[in-house]
Amino acid sequence: MTETTTETEEQSTGTSVGSGDTDTRTTKGESEERTRDEWREYSFSEDAILSVDDLNVYYGDDHSLKDISMDIPEKSVTALIGPSGCGKSTFLRCLNRMNDRIKSARVEGTVEYNGEDVYQDGTNLVELRKRIGMVFQAPNPFPKSIRDNIAYGPRKHGDINRGFVASLLGRDDKEEEDELVEESLRKAALWDEVNDRLDDNALGLSGGQQQRLCIARCLAVNPEVILMDEPASALDPVATSKIEDLIEELAKEYTVVVVTHNMQQAARISDQTAVFLTGGELVEYDETDKIFENPESQRVEDYITGKFG
Amino acid sequence: MPRDGYRERLEALRRDVVSTGEVAVRRLRDALTALEQKDDELARRVIEGDAEVNARYLGTERDCIDLIALQQPVAGDLRFVVASFKILTDLERVGDLATNIADRATEARRDRFAEVDVQEIGAFAASMVEDSLEAYGNEDVEACRGVAESDDVLDARCEGATRRVIRELADAAHEDADGSVSDAKNLLLTVRDLERVGDHGVNIAARTLYMVEHEDELLR
Repeated sequence: MTETTTETEEQSTGTSVGSGDTDTRTTKGESEERTRDEWREYSFSEDAILSVDDLNVYYGDDHSLKDISMDIPEKSVTALIGPSGCGKSTFLRCLNRMNDRIKSARVEGTVEYNGEDVYQDGTNLVELRKRIGMVFQAPNPFPKSIRDNIAYGPRKHGDINRGFVASLLGRDDKEEEDELVEESLRKAALWDEVNDRLDDNALGLSGGQQQRLCIARCLAVNPEVILMDEPASALDPVATSKIEDLIEELAKEYTVVVVTHNMQQAARISDQTAVFLTGGELVEYDETDKIFENPESQRVEDYITGKFG
Repeated sequence: MPRDGYRERLEALRRDVVSTGEVAVRRLRDALTALEQKDDELARRVIEGDAEVNARYLGTERDCIDLIALQQPVAGDLRFVVASFKILTDLERVGDLATNIADRATEARRDRFAEVDVQEIGAFAASMVEDSLEAYGNEDVEACRGVAESDDVLDARCEGATRRVIRELADAAHEDADGSVSDAKNLLLTVRDLERVGDHGVNIAARTLYMVEHEDELLR
């Protein structure tokens, strides 16, 4: 993960924290107009696939997320926006327990996925992360062929048997694998560009293609939810448009939760937008057009119109 | 505050819309004066001055388009730019209506329908536009509702004036019928134009209310 890139971008788009918080302080009271309980009552048309309740995250003494409660409707795009350090990536990583990998992280509250708390004892993390996949900011394909990148997960999980032993046992799933590779690449809108070179090294692809390959790799293990952490911030505008189109397409079949620093991107692609502000607080969560046309909270208005940051 | 240049451009847009409106209202008042005093010269200046209203309107509309394309305003800023864009069209129409009135200014024989106080109606309509502009400039939602309410008064006065003209025309049918008809036609058109001026004032107020409060009650 390239934290440096993130930092630079934030500074250039003027969303870094620290300056001009006079506005924030003076308008703080107004942000309490709707409490977190009210956000939960807000009914989206689709059922909630993820339901977060009173989530608090600490990194050592640092209280990074405070009392976050929100329902994420299925088969839609939910964007998480906010200045750097507001906890949106932390929140994203809580959804499939990626924060477990950080030793100092402590998580309180519940994250229900299809009604089951993912933080309860006995949760199968491999299964959880198959069902709730993650795509990162910088494309990170394995230094292997395009085919191997897609088939890596299913082979690892034993869903597809390949290789010498499998062929000896007469259980070589070559056809299934071909199908899976094609289907995943098609869903990631990459098939037409790479179908004649599936055995080429994935690192030879352009940045945008690599990112779509990572999405295809995520799709290959048959997830229900796809988490994306700034999936287009390392890409040029054309590659960014392709990713954005892809996200909209994926939302017909999958639930997409995307962290972005690009507010216009959130406006373009998402159905719901959650605005996190400094201090790890979820200030407003609503349908995207409402957030960008008439947000309820003055702090959100000030943030998205660039009056502070 | 970040985006200082952007905020300055938003404020410049507000000033430009208000000043375009001031020019349009001035034209309207001049047209009414030309009508009252049968002042050919003033009427001509109003008609020629419409080019200035149009130029300001087009220039300011261009600024709105630039702001949307280059700065991507959202939330309250977006509503402000969109409302300003729509209000400019109303102001341009007020300018056109002033030109219409000036066109007919010197043809009118005011003594024939002396009971119809077109000046009073005109002043009322012009003040509605002024009030709506002030409401826009100050983001005053109460003033917006006030403008909308005064439209009923204007409509009633226009309706009354129209009836009076038609009644007098019927009474005077036997004497100089042609002249009466022509004067009546001019007067009725002027009254209708003034009624429309008021409607544009209401539109401006309605857009302003939407801009400030995201409330479309006056737009419906």
